Amino acid sequence: MKRLLVALALVLSACSAGGQDGPTTITFWDNNGGPGRTPIYEELIKRFEAANPNIKVEYVGIPSSSVQQKYDTAIAGGSTPDVGGVTTSYLAHLVGQDALEPLDERLESGPLKGKLLPGLLETVRQTAMDGKLYAAPASGNLDVIWYRSDLFAEQKIAVPDTWDQLVDAAAKLTKPADNKYGFTIRGGAGSVFQLLAEAYSYSGVDKFYDGGKSTVSDPRNAELVSKIAGIYKKSTPEADVNNNYTQMVAQFTGGTVAMMHHNLGSTADVMKALGAQKVSAMPLPKGPSGKRTVVPNPTDGFAVFKGSKNPDASWKFVEFLTSAESNGYWNEKVGQIPANTDVRGAEWIQKNPAVKMALGVLEDPATMLVPAPVYLPEYSSITKTDTEPLYQKVLLGQMSAQQFLDELAAKLTTAQQEWEKRK
Amino acid sequence: MTQTLSRQETPVSPPPPAPPRRKKHRDPSRFFRLYLPLVLYLLFTLIPFYWMLVFAFRPAGETTLLPWPITFEHFDTVWNDIGFGLFFQNSLLIALGTLVTVTVFAVMGGYALARFKFRGQRVFLLALLCTQFIPGAMMLIPLFVIFKNVGLLNSLTGLIIADTAFQLPLALILMSGFVRNVPVELEEAAMVDGCSRLRAFFAVTLPQLRPALVAVGSFAFIGAWNNFLFALMFASRQDKFTLPVGLSYALGEFNTDFGALAAGGVVAAVPVVLVFAVVQRFLVQGLSAGAVKG
Amino acid sequence: MRTRTWAPYVLIAPTLLLMAVFLVYPIASVGWFSLRQHTVTQPWKNGFIGFENFRRMLFDDPLFWQSLLFSAKWVVVEVGLQLVLGLVLALIVNETFVGRAMARSLVFSPWAVSGVLTTGIWILLYNPSTGIFQQLAQWGIGDPGTSVLGDPATVFPATVVTELWRGVPFFAILLLADLQTIPNDLYEAASVDGAGRWRRFVSVTLPHLRDAIVLSTLLRAVWEFNNVDLIYTLTGGGPANQTTTLPLYVARKAVDSHDFGYGSALTMAGFVILLFFSVLYLRLSKFGSRA
Repeated sequence: MKRLLVALALVLSACSAGGQDGPTTITFWDNNGGPGRTPIYEELIKRFEAANPNIKVEYVGIPSSSVQQKYDTAIAGGSTPDVGGVTTSYLAHLVGQDALEPLDERLESGPLKGKLLPGLLETVRQTAMDGKLYAAPASGNLDVIWYRSDLFAEQKIAVPDTWDQLVDAAAKLTKPADNKYGFTIRGGAGSVFQLLAEAYSYSGVDKFYDGGKSTVSDPRNAELVSKIAGIYKKSTPEADVNNNYTQMVAQFTGGTVAMMHHNLGSTADVMKALGAQKVSAMPLPKGPSGKRTVVPNPTDGFAVFKGSKNPDASWKFVEFLTSAESNGYWNEKVGQIPANTDVRGAEWIQKNPAVKMALGVLEDPATMLVPAPVYLPEYSSITKTDTEPLYQKVLLGQMSAQQFLDELAAKLTTAQQEWEKRK
Repeated sequence: MTQTLSRQETPVSPPPPAPPRRKKHRDPSRFFRLYLPLVLYLLFTLIPFYWMLVFAFRPAGETTLLPWPITFEHFDTVWNDIGFGLFFQNSLLIALGTLVTVTVFAVMGGYALARFKFRGQRVFLLALLCTQFIPGAMMLIPLFVIFKNVGLLNSLTGLIIADTAFQLPLALILMSGFVRNVPVELEEAAMVDGCSRLRAFFAVTLPQLRPALVAVGSFAFIGAWNNFLFALMFASRQDKFTLPVGLSYALGEFNTDFGALAAGGVVAAVPVVLVFAVVQRFLVQGLSAGAVKG
Repeated sequence: MRTRTWAPYVLIAPTLLLMAVFLVYPIASVGWFSLRQHTVTQPWKNGFIGFENFRRMLFDDPLFWQSLLFSAKWVVVEVGLQLVLGLVLALIVNETFVGRAMARSLVFSPWAVSGVLTTGIWILLYNPSTGIFQQLAQWGIGDPGTSVLGDPATVFPATVVTELWRGVPFFAILLLADLQTIPNDLYEAASVDGAGRWRRFVSVTLPHLRDAIVLSTLLRAVWEFNNVDLIYTLTGGGPANQTTTLPLYVARKAVDSHDFGYGSALTMAGFVILLFFSVLYLRLSKFGSRA
């Protein structure tokens, strides 16, 4: 018996000693694994491990289409990673499941203090009911319209500044007999997200809620939705009603379509297929008000999970990823807006017209931001499951734009009221 | 008896079940009932494959119908940037493991269902069916918890077990149908000759099941080879992922790369098609007419 | 051979064990959740609510009925076509001809292609700018810009064809394997009696294949009923929910919207429906009753 105890003690001490001396391993889940981004992280991890020989980072790339399911399963099963890539579009779900570590104190007491764009910090904080920071923002994004600059130049069409000009340009660029269309609508998965950005850029309505009521149903928003529905099948391919991102990009890079609304995140996909001579980005056009209103695109960032056994090492890695050098490297590669303000002066930003343009829009004092209520637990279910099919009905002429927006607004209003009550 | 049987199975090109062919006569009806539908169906089968090949070998952004100029950059992407080599190996191990366990258990259970009458037989059959009534996605979280508790997360063994559990009911039911088709008299005759039941099974029934083993085994192999959900959810390590996970990398928002998808598709499909080419020759009659009368 | 013995229990033991450990609890938990309000993103609302989910499903949710109806249409059309084409294909590649081995492995090969890849290929094939219809239009067949997935009139057949591509080989392989077990003397006897090709097919082949057909259609019907990935990636259930099956609706509710309680109730509805029809089908087809 005594010998057994001694042996046990030995084993235990060996274990704990091993834990202190050997390298700590943390897992990192990339929420956008794939040929575009995996190599970037591999390089950054190599650099991090060189600088921190005591910490090993295990990279896991999750396909973006399954990342929410993967997180949900991991949280329910109690097997979360240490660090995970997240975007504000589903950050509220993770916070709601009490899965994340608040990062405010760590951020304030470290070298990143005051270095991250206040606007992005704000969008991250908004997703949590307690107003805490549950992810370190790494990258900002902006809705843009990718357009075929070569076709515009060829046909001497000016780059549109207003939605009406865009509609005209789309009509001019359309030649159904040659299978050429001016514009492509995202009618399938992810449609309403993009439609809202379009609607507010047109209407100039500068608040998402007015007196607790959703402004989505504003008649000026409906005007834009009708306009888009009006060009469906006329200046856009018929396929658009079911278009998800993959199909939309196939049409644009396949050369059928001259303009595509997406965001900076697709830079790599678009540039790889078409090249910088053929494609450029413009901001979403304005409406008759002439005001520039922008519904901010979800912010990418890194979260530390509560289940982490090594929160310090995890934070260290997050800090490293958001440091000026790594953050600059990452955003240069993917073509998005760096969250770290020290990167602002970097040379590559001047050389990347899309990022430069986006920064111009976001830093313009005249630009008004209309953040979507991604903090609502029901937000994605309302804008996806509930209303994406309705938008398709609008495109197919089975429902009016106003009716559709009224339904959407009613759901958003109810959800907001419930949220206010809980708050 | 055993010897006669095994000699008869040698895969000489077997007589087809529509036997009285007018030999040495050109039969014009063969064109309409055989070649024409076959060619049409082959077109239907092959056009999508051709599309995949074109995208796999054509530079991104090209739209030509022939993959010319030919490029291997997409294969470079899937092999080096996505790490298909390891995914390939994992898929292969999981699929082979599942193939073996499913086939063995299916033969055992299928034999039991076909050759015995036992209490609870109908309930068992119904329970087997019931397991197929719920989509895997809905069972994910409880399954995940079980797997975690028995320490099967992040292991290829765990994935083999998960795939086996899900494919076995189907395989077993199919196999019972095949066993039922083997005349029981054959086995009885062997047992009269002094074989034990087990020996009679191995010597007489199992050889007759060869087409069934190929069919059911290939279903199990392919089911595991292609399983995406379990592979992604029960493994959280890059070096445990499988081909379907790798393929879905090329279809993400911000990561859409059709060339890589197609190249990955070629990598994933070609070996299976080749295996089919080899095993299909076992899908021939194992039993010639005379043996039935035993 | 119908003795009372422990042998069958030993033989099914591994299967029973796997089912008990890995399937019983998850299925039971779906049943339990169907009686609860359970939304992971709104934990404060969670709790036992009895049959409220079912009441909502039956009386307040037109999409439930719509998706159920579409599921029925999908299963009947898919399984029916797969069976007929698979049988024809099996009979064809069962003949002897030059290049048979090649033909067999080619026609079977789509079965080997994963769901992710099948939809990936067909998305490209159907896409109006990268696809087959664009190519045909260039050759003067059809109109440019034809989009079979975007047109409400063609989205259903287009999806059916995609699933046929992958599903027909399942029947073909299975039926081909079963064809091998038909003793030749049966055909010989029929020929002696002067039966033509068609008579031999009806009086010898079909009866012999009956059990295999009953089983494979049943299993395939269950499988097609629960088939989510293909439709989800190809059409997302659209346009305007036109191609939403019940399990697709379940996925959207339980996975996308995190409404796990309601999703479980929908799943249980599917479970009961499948159970009912399976038992009915086995009864009606008098499965296994052959002498």
